[in-house]
Amino acid sequence: MATADGWEGALGTGDGPLLGRDPFDEAVGSDPFVARLEQIALLAPPRALRAPRLQAVAPLRTEPAAPPAPAREARRPATPLRRRRASTPSLVEVELPEALGLLDRLIGEDERRRLAAIAHLVDGDTPFDRYGFSPEVTRTAFPIFHALYRWYFRVASTGHEHLPAEGPALLVGNHGGLLPFDGAMTILDVLLHSDPPRLARTIVDRWAGTLPWINVFYARVGQVVGTRENFSDLLDDGQLVLVFPEGMDGVRKPITQRYRVQGFHVGFIEQALRARAPIVPVAILGSDDQAPILADLKPLARILGLPFLPVTPTFPWLGPLGLLPYPVRYRIVYGEPLCYHERFGPEGAEDARLVRYLANQVRRAVQVLIDRSRS
Amino acid sequence: MKNVLVTHADEPIGRRVVKTLFHDPDVRRILAVGDGPPPRAFDRFLAGSEPRLSYSRADLARHRPVSALFHSPGFREAEIDTLIHVPRHGAAADAHAPIVAGVAERTAEARLVLQHCLEANDVTSLVALGSAFVYRLPPGNANRLDEESPLDLDPDVVPETRSWIDCDMIFHGELHNDRVRVVLLRVPTVVAEGGFVYLNPLLAGPPGLRLRRLGYDPLCALVSDKDVARAVQAAVHSRHPGIYNVAGSEAVPLSLLGRWTRRPSLPVPRGILAAAARAAQLLGRDTTGASGSHLRFGFTLDTRRAERELGFRATNRIGLARAGDGSLRLETASL
Repeated sequence: MATADGWEGALGTGDGPLLGRDPFDEAVGSDPFVARLEQIALLAPPRALRAPRLQAVAPLRTEPAAPPAPAREARRPATPLRRRRASTPSLVEVELPEALGLLDRLIGEDERRRLAAIAHLVDGDTPFDRYGFSPEVTRTAFPIFHALYRWYFRVASTGHEHLPAEGPALLVGNHGGLLPFDGAMTILDVLLHSDPPRLARTIVDRWAGTLPWINVFYARVGQVVGTRENFSDLLDDGQLVLVFPEGMDGVRKPITQRYRVQGFHVGFIEQALRARAPIVPVAILGSDDQAPILADLKPLARILGLPFLPVTPTFPWLGPLGLLPYPVRYRIVYGEPLCYHERFGPEGAEDARLVRYLANQVRRAVQVLIDRSRS
Repeated sequence: MKNVLVTHADEPIGRRVVKTLFHDPDVRRILAVGDGPPPRAFDRFLAGSEPRLSYSRADLARHRPVSALFHSPGFREAEIDTLIHVPRHGAAADAHAPIVAGVAERTAEARLVLQHCLEANDVTSLVALGSAFVYRLPPGNANRLDEESPLDLDPDVVPETRSWIDCDMIFHGELHNDRVRVVLLRVPTVVAEGGFVYLNPLLAGPPGLRLRRLGYDPLCALVSDKDVARAVQAAVHSRHPGIYNVAGSEAVPLSLLGRWTRRPSLPVPRGILAAAARAAQLLGRDTTGASGSHLRFGFTLDTRRAERELGFRATNRIGLARAGDGSLRLETASL
């Protein structure tokens, strides 16, 4: 599986900013932007252009006339135009960040190190990546989700050896439960069991992108709305992408369909073939038990503009509290990677029948994983 | 060797473009055109007996001055073969804010510049700067947009964005012209030295409090003005016509960008926002940025086409730096 062609071009320099604290906090004594530039300058190879040290902001210089310097090279890029791929350093390479507050003390050293590692996904000098992922917000939210992972859902997982250490890859799982805790637990599990630590970027439904606050929170913790451009860009960037191809059908399936994988959307196969990315099937057990759906009030959902309106043993009887998941035990199983790209190549994405066939194969693989894990 | 004409050269981005081209040995003559007097920064370029740079004043939104410019002896003597259209984006004097002209002026300028460019026999290339705020945004706080992404042709789009779309489509119509190579560069929020921002309709106007939608904080893609000038330079020397996204690797939420540029935003519910926009409209105030999908959804730009065909990649980083007075402000620095 490590022979995937798409991985070999990874630059993997891991030169993202080391964000131990909010670099835009004015209370910080030193100038983080300057410090960052100095750090880049120190890390840069000798022939690279050095970053000038930013001094106090000065007005436009008006020196006497200077002859135009030959600047032919300035037009040419200093380095070949190869795309930087998002990568994270391994745990041994990450310096343990200082515990800054109460939240940091709630989690262990290993977790702090992992969070510091995924901060390297941010390229540039602002604390956000191009999808709005913020290591700071993720670090703040982590203790809450970690407590859910460890104490509430008591997640157990197997098959971590199938998680690709680097390069583009897809995690394809089954979807269930009213609220997407299956995604959150999988992200956490991948983060806690991969080295180098990897942040799975979940492709979320477009509807979620329209929700106030939710859309901001999703973006800050690394989730991305599922447009074709976003999807292909993430894979081109060498990232690990988590998809639930069942979509809403998986979330709203009734209790009678519990752990029966619903029909798959096929777009993820096209993207995987084009990006030469392996597909790792994932079985998530527990999500379908966290909020068993007894009925779906479709007409009322249409009136309210919702994708569905479920009736569960607790919702709507307990109001919004009824949406909270039951404390079920989660089990996550990673299957062997399916490297369709090695056989069919990017041109396979143009064949609609092949794409549909492969999507069904992946669906079957997920279903087999679920069935084996439950037996 | 190229002889270029740069419009709105007296404004910050135009000035930066002129400076960059002045130091390009493959550019022989530069004719800078602006509304006002030549900027002080041009003094050293204009000095000498035979300066490579000359400066003319013209109102590009009116037909007669533009016609006079294109038929002037200065234009003929300079043997202009490349025209760089930098749209009106703000004056240096009040550069805390991007003061844009009326919608009609921006569109009229684009149309007149293109028309005269096509009529001038010697002009073979036209490089125009456009805005990336022309794209229609799918739901989501950050969307990766490439050049093929659809434009926002919604009839309810705000007038500011509409003017950019009009300009975009004016140049788009001549992309396949056989004689004149047309290049359109779409740029997001431009950050210049000193923490000034341009071409962001949500932050247009003087510093001060703004309203934004509660529950949303769109991501704003950034690019340094130096990189914009480098992209223009690359487009001048390229042989490819077409549309290119030009952006840096940085992106920040609107709330943070507003705070950094002394335009903090107050999140309010949609109803209050609509009422405030209506009240501002009744008072004759500019309601730019008071509505539209850009207040909810953010975007970043896929710049791979520019990398591939123009050989351009942003090399300037954008972040906060401490100014002389000790305050932190948005800055750019090259690596």
